[in-house]
Amino acid sequence: MSEERETRLLMISPSSRLTPEMLARTIHSMGEDVALKETCYGCLIEGRREVVRRITDNLRETQGNSVFSKRRAYRLGDPVRCRAQHGTRPGFSQLEDEWQALPYIEAGLDAIDNGEGYKEIPVKQRLPVDKLIEICEVKR
Amino acid sequence: MKVFIDPPNSLILFDLVERFGHEPLSTMAALQERIDNIEVDMPPMNVTLDDVVKGLKYAGIEVPSGVRGRLAVWGPLIEEADAAIIVDDPPFSFGCVGCERSELMVKYLVKRRNIPALRLPYPGNEEEGKAFVGKIKEFLEGLQ
Repeated sequence: MSEERETRLLMISPSSRLTPEMLARTIHSMGEDVALKETCYGCLIEGRREVVRRITDNLRETQGNSVFSKRRAYRLGDPVRCRAQHGTRPGFSQLEDEWQALPYIEAGLDAIDNGEGYKEIPVKQRLPVDKLIEICEVKR
Repeated sequence: MKVFIDPPNSLILFDLVERFGHEPLSTMAALQERIDNIEVDMPPMNVTLDDVVKGLKYAGIEVPSGVRGRLAVWGPLIEEADAAIIVDDPPFSFGCVGCERSELMVKYLVKRRNIPALRLPYPGNEEEGKAFVGKIKEFLEGLQ
């Protein structure tokens, strides 16, 4: 069963002009045999694994780097998780947090597509004691 | 190749690993196995009583059951992995990964397996985003 069913969460980057409705229509227009649920952040789709993979690959080709996806353990509208039935929402705060970082990831993927490199970002170090003393003495 | 991602339910890491042609090992797949094959019909609705016992392989009896429960799900994924991508210091509010002790244990288990591992922070601006994606791409291409 696990090998056959796949539920996938599709999330739209906040910098994209794509809306969940447009995304849902795009998936419907593919004519594949999947169940679809439109959500505030994108869509949930469920179907046979190969079909869901095909849709995901297709979206990555057609929608650029603005749609991100991951698997979901629970089924569509599962009473344990679905908000409509007062399900709990573990993991939602993480989704919300990662949603804010999606434009940066999108910029990174676009840079790779354009053949751009990246700059090494220096790791933030702790403030040395000498520097702290210097700051305190200047402020005094 | 199978790549363990940490946070194990990360959307960004799952998507990037899959985009660059590898198989991400995530909590979602492990939990789906339990939901489809085992009766998970009482709270916390994502681990079974057996899992907490299985977690003893990865953490001692004195460790809180929450940590053992998490490691019962993540431990087998780390054992299965050929490589790992770890994001350091994720924000404290991270849903079901909001346990620092489990995070430390995961890093220890990955280190003990001696598999190639990439550690990096979450991006906070576009430049960091480019470096984040670029490093992950280089790391995943280097695995082939």
